[in-house]
Amino acid sequence: MAGFLSAHGYDPGPSQRPLFAGLITGFLATLPATMLLHVFGSLEVEARILDISVASTIVAGWVIMAIAGAVYARLFGRAANDPRGGWLFGMAFGFVVWAAGAVLVLPLVSGGKAPAGEPALGVLLSLVLWGATLGALLPFVHRPLHKSIESESRRVSIGPTGSLPASTAKRRG
Amino acid sequence: MIRVVALRKAAFAGALAALVWEVTLRSAILMGVPTFDIVHGLGTLAFPQGPATAWWPIGMTAHALVGICWAVFYAYFFWARVHWRPPLQGLAFSAVPATLALLIVAPQLDLIRLQSDVVHLTPEMLVPDLTMLQVGGLLAGHAIFGLVVGAVYTRPVGYRLDRPPRIHLARRRERPADERRHDGGFIFATGIECSYPTVERGSWRRDEMLETRHYRFWQRDFELAREIGITHLRYGPPTHLVFTAPGVYRWDLMDEPMAELEAHGPEPIVDLCHFGLPSWLGDFQNPDIAKALAEYAGALVKRYPWVRFYTPVNEMYVCARMSALDGVWNEQRSDEASFLSAAFHLAGASTAMTDAILKERADAIFINSESSEFYQPCCPDEEIVQRAALENERRFLPLDLLYAHEVSACMLDILREHGREDEYRRFLARQVPRRSVLGVDYYEWNEKLIDRDGTPRALGELFGWYVIANQYWERYRKTMMHTETNRIDASDAQRWLWRQWHNVQLLRDAGVPLIGFTWYSLTDQLDWGSALRRVDGRVDPVGLFDLNRDPRPVGLSYRHLIDQHRGQPEFRDCAALKELLD
Repeated sequence: MAGFLSAHGYDPGPSQRPLFAGLITGFLATLPATMLLHVFGSLEVEARILDISVASTIVAGWVIMAIAGAVYARLFGRAANDPRGGWLFGMAFGFVVWAAGAVLVLPLVSGGKAPAGEPALGVLLSLVLWGATLGALLPFVHRPLHKSIESESRRVSIGPTGSLPASTAKRRG
Repeated sequence: MIRVVALRKAAFAGALAALVWEVTLRSAILMGVPTFDIVHGLGTLAFPQGPATAWWPIGMTAHALVGICWAVFYAYFFWARVHWRPPLQGLAFSAVPATLALLIVAPQLDLIRLQSDVVHLTPEMLVPDLTMLQVGGLLAGHAIFGLVVGAVYTRPVGYRLDRPPRIHLARRRERPADERRHDGGFIFATGIECSYPTVERGSWRRDEMLETRHYRFWQRDFELAREIGITHLRYGPPTHLVFTAPGVYRWDLMDEPMAELEAHGPEPIVDLCHFGLPSWLGDFQNPDIAKALAEYAGALVKRYPWVRFYTPVNEMYVCARMSALDGVWNEQRSDEASFLSAAFHLAGASTAMTDAILKERADAIFINSESSEFYQPCCPDEEIVQRAALENERRFLPLDLLYAHEVSACMLDILREHGREDEYRRFLARQVPRRSVLGVDYYEWNEKLIDRDGTPRALGELFGWYVIANQYWERYRKTMMHTETNRIDASDAQRWLWRQWHNVQLLRDAGVPLIGFTWYSLTDQLDWGSALRRVDGRVDPVGLFDLNRDPRPVGLSYRHLIDQHRGQPEFRDCAALKELLD
């Protein structure tokens, strides 16, 4: 999939700020996900498994999900800015985070303990919801963060010498 | 955006596939086969002990929603990556959800069904607790799902010729008109990609404006062009949708965009025939297209009398070749006689439209865009050399007709052989309008090598635009404009832009009257990797902006280029353009 994205010019380009936008959106998307975790009683179970307080679990979750949002925005590049498909890309990413994080990493760091029953369902649904929210919101969060075309077009790297291959630049230097 | 996806079609395919899976496996279960029951598994998460009337609707809804998600995922990332029959593509794709279901989802569903909140995982818990029959059912269900999605989700873009879409353009946000700027300065142009040929034996209409969502974002597109500093916009209203019958026009598809362009720019170069025709006119073998299109051109000038720049027919050679020699578009023929018919009819349409426009607006300027082509023989083999020579003559035929230029002896023999000499002589006798500009397009595939087996193969940039455009200049001696270029490899687009620009500078410095440069197009395009023949919805990242309307690096470079040059004396006042405007 990465190759496919790459072949289609997915690189965000100099006027975009995918990491910053992803960080903010990942943070925002954690709010509904946390509420869902609470409804299913998953927060308390996760806190118990990690042997920390619920408040610390929420704070840690927020930080991790904000970083995960930045990773998503960078990985999907321009595709993450698609208002029509963003929800799905985000949901797919949420599913991967669930499969990697909740199913694999959490039991590893907690000595084999994992949520079960309704709390396990809550973890799955909350991460899918987090992903869908992240993907759906990101295009709208990112757009106002773009650097202006006017300022970015003035950069030397945009000009005639900036696009020369590196080897040519070396010979010039 | 990496693909243009028909979301509703994909959603329908996913829901239908989930239903077919359920009907098939439910029948097996009702007949006593103890197989995998996905709907029961999902439904009983909500109603563990509930009756079937409770768990079935919930389970089926969840199953259909998951099916929709997978089908949309298929549409974005898998559809048309391999050129197999569509159901087989879907079947191959179904291995992905099947693997995830077997290795991750099924064991996790078992955990969710436990009565405790926390478990100590054991290796056995990570293996699905399924019998062989259930595993078989799970795999069979996914196979059915994949086959149905693959069979239903095809042709995500374009439309059946007899079912044109209902298009209603958004009303423009009115603001006071700007003062008309840019009279006589060098043209820095882009275009809205607007090709509309038919494919699949005339049954399927491609419509790049629809597929790139210009009809929806038309106002934003014009704003973006202004933001880059574009002075002129190559703009082809959808003739196939506007000109619906003789004397019948849907001006509502043009009025608002044209009003916006008139008020705020960029100045449009209106393109009246871009690789396709209205359905009722058939194809380019129809000898009546000149008369019909002239009527359309005349009506358009009366409606928008302020428009100064026109491209009556875009790339006549490419259109005739792809339609009647390479068998890709419209009539899809592959013989010399059909090619000559198409070339003569296109040139006839161009001259008739030109005359109709001049009748209403005597000072109209015609930008006759044509693809610059060159054929290089691979070896001294006489047959190959002759083939290359013939192709190098054939490329000029439509322009020779339009500009009343004599064809070569070998081309004249071909015209005689096909009974076209009298018609050719009539073109030769024509008075070519003074304000005609030869537009020369250039892409990396325009220079071709005639291979040992006689097949033309793209060579890449062998001699470059300067050399090829110079061949056209030497032949016609007309004021010129660089009217199209782009690079399908987005990572190389900036370098390509500057290379093309330096070619333009060199040709100007050599004394050729050159009035403009064009990066084509404003946004990414679709399916040009297959010359539109495959209806895949695959995005070609060639635009100044992507299809989300976010700038690409080449867009920033073009703005840099325009900022750097438009104020320079030799570009602020373009003598060749001023002469045409006088």
